Amino acid sequence: MKKLLLADGLLWVLLGIGMCLGSIQLKLGTFHTPGAGFLPFFAGASLALFGLILVCSTLISQAKEGEAARDLGRLTKRRWKRFLNPSLTVAILVGYILLLEPLGFLLTTFVCLLLLFKLAEPKKWLTPLLLSGSTAILSYLLFSVWLQCQLPKGLLKFW
Amino acid sequence: MSGFFDNLAMGCHVALSIGNLAYCFLGVLIGTLIGVLPGIGPVGTISLLLPVTFGISPTSAIIMLAGIYYGAQYGGSTTSILVNIPGEATSVITCLDGYQMARHGRAGPALGIAAFGSFIAGTIGTIIVMLVAVPLSAVALKFGPPEYFSLIILSLAILSYLAHGSLVKAVIMAILGVSLSQIGIDGVTGRTRFTFGILDLQDGLGLVPVVMGLFGVAEVLENLEESLNIDVFKTKIKNLLPNLRDWAESIGAIIRGSFLGFFLGILPGGGAIMSTFVSYALEKKLSKHPEKFGTGVIAGVAGPESANNAASSGAFIPLFTLGFPSNAITALLLGALMIHGVQPGPTLIEKHPDIFWGTIISMYIGNILLVVLNLPLIGLWVRILKVPYKILFPLLLLLCIIGSYSTNNSKFDVLIMLIFGVIGYSFRKFDYELAPLVIAFVLGPILETSLRQSLLISKGSISIFFMRPISVACLIIGAAVLLLPIALRQSRRLREKIT
Repeated sequence: MKKLLLADGLLWVLLGIGMCLGSIQLKLGTFHTPGAGFLPFFAGASLALFGLILVCSTLISQAKEGEAARDLGRLTKRRWKRFLNPSLTVAILVGYILLLEPLGFLLTTFVCLLLLFKLAEPKKWLTPLLLSGSTAILSYLLFSVWLQCQLPKGLLKFW
Repeated sequence: MSGFFDNLAMGCHVALSIGNLAYCFLGVLIGTLIGVLPGIGPVGTISLLLPVTFGISPTSAIIMLAGIYYGAQYGGSTTSILVNIPGEATSVITCLDGYQMARHGRAGPALGIAAFGSFIAGTIGTIIVMLVAVPLSAVALKFGPPEYFSLIILSLAILSYLAHGSLVKAVIMAILGVSLSQIGIDGVTGRTRFTFGILDLQDGLGLVPVVMGLFGVAEVLENLEESLNIDVFKTKIKNLLPNLRDWAESIGAIIRGSFLGFFLGILPGGGAIMSTFVSYALEKKLSKHPEKFGTGVIAGVAGPESANNAASSGAFIPLFTLGFPSNAITALLLGALMIHGVQPGPTLIEKHPDIFWGTIISMYIGNILLVVLNLPLIGLWVRILKVPYKILFPLLLLLCIIGSYSTNNSKFDVLIMLIFGVIGYSFRKFDYELAPLVIAFVLGPILETSLRQSLLISKGSISIFFMRPISVACLIIGAAVLLLPIALRQSRRLREKIT
């Protein structure tokens, strides 16, 4: 866990350095006429500095040792299994983004909701089917028909 | 003085129009609903509904969104009292005595005093906003770019100081927020910054997808780690009206909570949450029987519930007078104003009196509506509590998707929302607080503009920030806020080593 906390701090250091390098390319300008990279450079430098403080405090502080141990206990107790549902949900949402324009809002929403409801009720079919179908149609009527949101029609262009 | 009454009359005219009354009602209804439901906060809800408000006038939009904000403070107490699960972070402390009152068959008076206390505090808060905002905005008009720059630095410093976890992590979040706001075309030089050749990033990251991801999606992902099986306290709720003895024990706590909450609500950061804890501690200190706190003392419900509502009114002071958000919710309201083409800042009250006075009057109306909603509809809120999370979360995700997509009709925004959802979820795992990030993200462009203007005025000398009294005062306080806790900790350690 201490490694994870160190990586957390190092990530900010690297991000900060990356921002500084990117800002130099953008041109820093002068104090009189600051360029496009002026503020991002100082933001990047501050990010790297505070990242470094985080790394140092993880390495040095005795209190952090206790905190790291506590965090470690917390994460191992939670077991990685607990991240399964959030990971599957993210995967379903990635699929939703990929299919939204080719399939259209109605079909993609139906499929996505069905998968999400099945995630919660893996053994049942009827309830998830009914819930996802009715929600997809109601949300389409509410947002596309009533509120005039320009939702993609995809395969169902005739609607 | 006649100008004041003219403005008041105009506010009544705006707020009492049928359309705005309906938006006010809708706002407080949604606010109460999401306040009752644990796992959905006002930040997520306001970001969800932000795109829906694009089609309505800015006044109506702010009236509705403000209604959600203060409505959520009312609703949050219901679950704290009945189920011992705070609907909102600001109602955590209400669990201590509210739930105990319910267990002793006094759920009714607990809910009643929470509603009446919130009403009184909300009204007091609104009156103070009405009286203080106009003179304060006149003072704020004297602020130039250096003062704005230093004030933003001070706000971010206070925000980081008040964050719950590590100060360093909170500062990192604030810097990250400023950094993210730099993405897109630079308005002065016309150069694209950190877009990596992606055309969709040229306009910068949208506030709606970023906030929906960080708060809405991240919250759902976190809740999905465990099922939310809420055990509703099974009791008949009767006698919602507190009796004379209840009033005698609570009225002092309500008044104290109102003023305390209002002034802490002005501070950037978790003013509302902090005010509930301070109010509870104060009531316990003033009580003749402090040992009874935690066993169902009505003042322990009345004080904090009044404080959190007054704090939500106080948060409008920096928003209306300086155009500064003091928490993530007012950052969203600021974003909503800007999306509607309204420039927030000291001139807002002068240029858009309809928005300011209309919102103020709607807050009075909203507070009355909330009492009417909360007391008779308590049975309905209890029933809503029984909606399982497994049905709720797909609907929440769908609302996030539609909200993000409909802002620009772009699936890229949905992708941004998802990316920030995962980022927000990871940040929560590593105890990073998200409010400094969002506020810095909103304030980033103002910070850059005022920095550039200041340096232009001073011909490139940074001494401009140290030569003007308001600016230097803000910078000194900001530095003290960040450095004082470190200095105190070091001196404590040193003392411990010596002893």
